[in-house]
Amino acid sequence: MSTTLPLGRVGERVKRVDGIPKTNGEFAYSSDLFAAGMLWGHTLRSPHSHARIVEIDLADALTSPGVHAVLTHEDVPGQKRYGLEFPDQPVLALDRVRYFGEPVALIAAEHPEQARRAAERIRVAYEPLEPLVDPERALEQEPLHDERWTHGHGYRDDPRPNVVRHLVIRHGDPDAEGAVSVSGVYELGIQDQAFLGPESGLAVPDGEGGVDIYVATQWLHVDRDQVAPCLGLPPERVRIHLAGVGGAFGGREDLSMQIHSALLALHTERPVKMVYNREESFVGHVHRHPARIWAEHRADADGRLVSVRMRILLDGGAYASSSTAVTSNAASFACGPYAVANALIESTCVYSNNPPCGAMRGFGAVQTCFASEAQMDKLADALGLDPVELRLRNALAPGDVLPTGQRIDGSLPVAEVIRRAAALPVPELEPLPREAIRLPGGAGNTTRGEGVRRGVGFAVGFKNIAYSEGFDDYCAARVRLREDGSAEVHCAAAEVGQGVTNVILQVARTELATDDVVLAPHTTASVDSSGSASASRMTWMAAGAVQLACRAALEERERTGGEVDVERIYRHVRTSPLDPETGQTTGERSHVAFACAAMRVVAEVDVELGLTRVVWIGTAQDVGAAVNPQAVEGQIEGGTAQGLGLALMEEIQTQGGLITNASFTDYLIPTALDMPPVESVLIEDPEPSAPYGVKGVGEPPTVVSTAAVVAALRDATGRELTRVPVRPDDIVGL
Amino acid sequence: MGALGNGTRGLAGGTDLVPLLRDGLVAADRLVDLRRVIPSGIDGTAIGAGTTLAELEADPQIPDALREACRLAASPQLRNMGTIGGNLLQATRCWYWRLNYPCRLHGGDVCHAREGQHREHAIFANDYCASAHPSDVAAALLALDATVETTRAAGPLAGLYRLPDDHDRNLVDLGADELITRIHYERPEQSVYLKAMDRKRWAFALVGVAAARYDDGVRLGLAGVAPIPWRLASLDDLEQATPLPGTAYKLELARALGRRAIAAVGG
Ligand SMILES: Cc1cc2nc3c(=O)[nH]c(=O)nc-3n(C[C@H](O)[C@H](O)[C@H](O)COP(=O)(O)OP(=O)(O)OC[C@H]3O[C@@H](n4cnc5c(N)ncnc54)[C@H](O)[C@@H]3O)c2cc1C
Ligand code: SF4
Repeated sequence: MSTTLPLGRVGERVKRVDGIPKTNGEFAYSSDLFAAGMLWGHTLRSPHSHARIVEIDLADALTSPGVHAVLTHEDVPGQKRYGLEFPDQPVLALDRVRYFGEPVALIAAEHPEQARRAAERIRVAYEPLEPLVDPERALEQEPLHDERWTHGHGYRDDPRPNVVRHLVIRHGDPDAEGAVSVSGVYELGIQDQAFLGPESGLAVPDGEGGVDIYVATQWLHVDRDQVAPCLGLPPERVRIHLAGVGGAFGGREDLSMQIHSALLALHTERPVKMVYNREESFVGHVHRHPARIWAEHRADADGRLVSVRMRILLDGGAYASSSTAVTSNAASFACGPYAVANALIESTCVYSNNPPCGAMRGFGAVQTCFASEAQMDKLADALGLDPVELRLRNALAPGDVLPTGQRIDGSLPVAEVIRRAAALPVPELEPLPREAIRLPGGAGNTTRGEGVRRGVGFAVGFKNIAYSEGFDDYCAARVRLREDGSAEVHCAAAEVGQGVTNVILQVARTELATDDVVLAPHTTASVDSSGSASASRMTWMAAGAVQLACRAALEERERTGGEVDVERIYRHVRTSPLDPETGQTTGERSHVAFACAAMRVVAEVDVELGLTRVVWIGTAQDVGAAVNPQAVEGQIEGGTAQGLGLALMEEIQTQGGLITNASFTDYLIPTALDMPPVESVLIEDPEPSAPYGVKGVGEPPTVVSTAAVVAALRDATGRELTRVPVRPDDIVGL
Repeated sequence: MGALGNGTRGLAGGTDLVPLLRDGLVAADRLVDLRRVIPSGIDGTAIGAGTTLAELEADPQIPDALREACRLAASPQLRNMGTIGGNLLQATRCWYWRLNYPCRLHGGDVCHAREGQHREHAIFANDYCASAHPSDVAAALLALDATVETTRAAGPLAGLYRLPDDHDRNLVDLGADELITRIHYERPEQSVYLKAMDRKRWAFALVGVAAARYDDGVRLGLAGVAPIPWRLASLDDLEQATPLPGTAYKLELARALGRRAIAAVGG
């Protein structure tokens, strides 16, 4: 799918290339893929969260109508395990299942219903084992994995069982005394990315032993590098092509059906399509880590932070995924965007038999922002200070040192986002009577104003941009300049709905000074890796790579005159690991750059029913430079909605590790009625080390909105509300 | 119609039955399309059991409580297909039951919800099975003093429901080949339906309260508080509730919504 472009250069408001087709239904999502003669793949999954597999009997399934293949771990020709960072996850369960929904066997059949029927005929004898479901107890229970997969990667050596990573950041003298001290325990449930397009894709054998996989993913090349070894193939014989992505939010960083469909396709020598249904999607990807956080903040009488202590416990579920990085991020941003001379942050992630967790928008910073901002409000209260003033007094600024010892040398306008968000006028109280949908309880018509109180909340948050801790993070772009002056850009940066396609085109048009630019289909076959569409990095990295490649192409043409085709790799500044003992950066920096946001929320709560209405949200966000201001505002609204969802309703419920609400009937996400208007102010303070001064914008709104929404509910109700999601029973709370 | 039962099931809009069939919670060898045999449409205070919720919510003759209950149920797509008869007979949302736990309602001998997670569950009649009836429509019809006409008999709506026990786990008192044909209601002077949900729309009721005022007083019907649609003679009856630890908040909701509903109908 090549894309021809509407006009637009860097900094202009441009319409999204994929906007109209997505709205009118013409956009082809990965679930729409079709190949002549294709079979349908299906996954048999574990009904247990923890069990030993005693026997698998395939006989009946193999003779089931329409079936072409039934595969188990024995049919995986290469490596039996894979993983985004540590290969701890079996392609198909070996002798044990560790989470509810873990893939056990695969079926390919003529019709999806035949594949499902055949799956029912596979007889798996399980011996159920006691599931590890309490992350605190998991630290003392039998290890879930025989090997310590994350051990020896430069992390602190923690001998306790089931530790994925344990990080301690010690900064200054954490015992330093302040005039006031506040503490609290906070908890966050498991949030799901809840993307609308379930996992799906198509694997097509190339007839020579290799395979082409068309799939909705966030990072084509890292998929390839995990798929190929399991298939026993060299990477170039596995080509991954981006198919239409229906949302990602971190949930497509790990593999889902990629290896499975390829195994079936190579086995049957037919194209194989797989599409998860909604229920399967809930077990088909990782979630946001649930967390328990204890925090203590000390400040002097003027409200300046003296010391912050925090203990963070994250439940990583059965496999590591990106948990080690989430552990570190949670710790890195535990103190919020404030200057703190002394801190002791302990962050631990454990394995358990709960749903596997990994990347989700905000990546660890959401959890600690919720705790840390609640603490800041408590502190303001204890000091009798205005919460905004307290935050201003402590705001981080360039030149300040983070608890990891990293000095902020780029842009980070914390005080400015605070001031600008605080200055946004709050809407006036709407007079009664009002329409039901303008009251807490919404369409349910539960109040005409009885019991309704109003509250205002404020929160500030920040997060890193791009990959950290020494990761070799790069992005490639290739530019073909034809003699007629037109250009074709190749870049594997996944369009996950965030608008990176427009960014690439805007940059190319700007650099090449022509509107005649097309973006070639995203594939591992024609260009090197772009890195992941995550960590708020893709705009920065793709802009950097496309800019480099365009400039190189122009130079080359200057020299040779004819058609040119050049590929360039862009790298951001190098980062270094954290010291395993002190949590201090071992070089100049462990993070590349930071972005912050402040948010003000007005909410109304019917305190008799515990029903809420978020009335208005105003935010100021540090965006570096907006490549496409319209897309930036879209990210801010969407990111805010996702944080609001966590604040008010989103939680994966489990019982013994089994997900009990794997549907959009039972796992509720905000509707348009639940989302208020969002007024956003873009603060453009260019990042010196970034192309055009850009920063990522996708995550800061999610980091801050959960905290800000709950702050408003606290203000309205006077309740502590230490756990999200906050539901009516927490407010009515007896 | 004699063919119903014996592995044959009646299908109206299919919005409840089809997912249950897919999940293996209901078995059927054969489905009979009821839409051809069940009356549909509104005739004064008689409603054909095959009338869709979408038709009911749009008809100005229908009392507010019932119109609102229909309008607030499910989503527009489901209301276009879902019938009032099917709504009254929808299965419980208790997810232990939906996940096929061998609980009492499935013939087992424990109620997993009582011991486990039960935030969405009942505050009345919850000692055997603690599920909470999800129908907004039934709550409204209880307040509207509805009677149900079937292929065999006619009687008050409340009589359609029963509490399960060791001998009979059914929540409905209806023969395997018996069909609901019509629902009749009493026109009230004023009526209202208030529904507390976890979000602003498109969610099941945590608690729903319907109130209808007649010459002789206000009648109340509740959703989400007992295994079957629940009728209250007065708000004082809420004192008889037996909430579980996780459902205590529902009693507060029922009190506040009850007060507000009665006030709204001028009672
Ligand atoms: C996602 C979702 C959300 C929902 N939210 C709500 C809500 O908020 N509030 C609410 O009240 N409801 C809600 N519902 C329930 C919905 O209103 C019902 O599913 C619908 O009304 C059922 O009608 P139907 O015609 O589709 O029934 P079907 O699915 O066809 O049938 C349901 C059952 O009734 C039987 N049956 C149907 N008609 C008759 C008859 N005339 N005589 C005898 N037996 C009959 C069928 O055999 C079957 O057992 C929701 C449903 C879904 C799926
Ligand atoms: S509440 Fe009823 S349906 Fe739910 S587990 Fe208990 S017995 Fe089963």
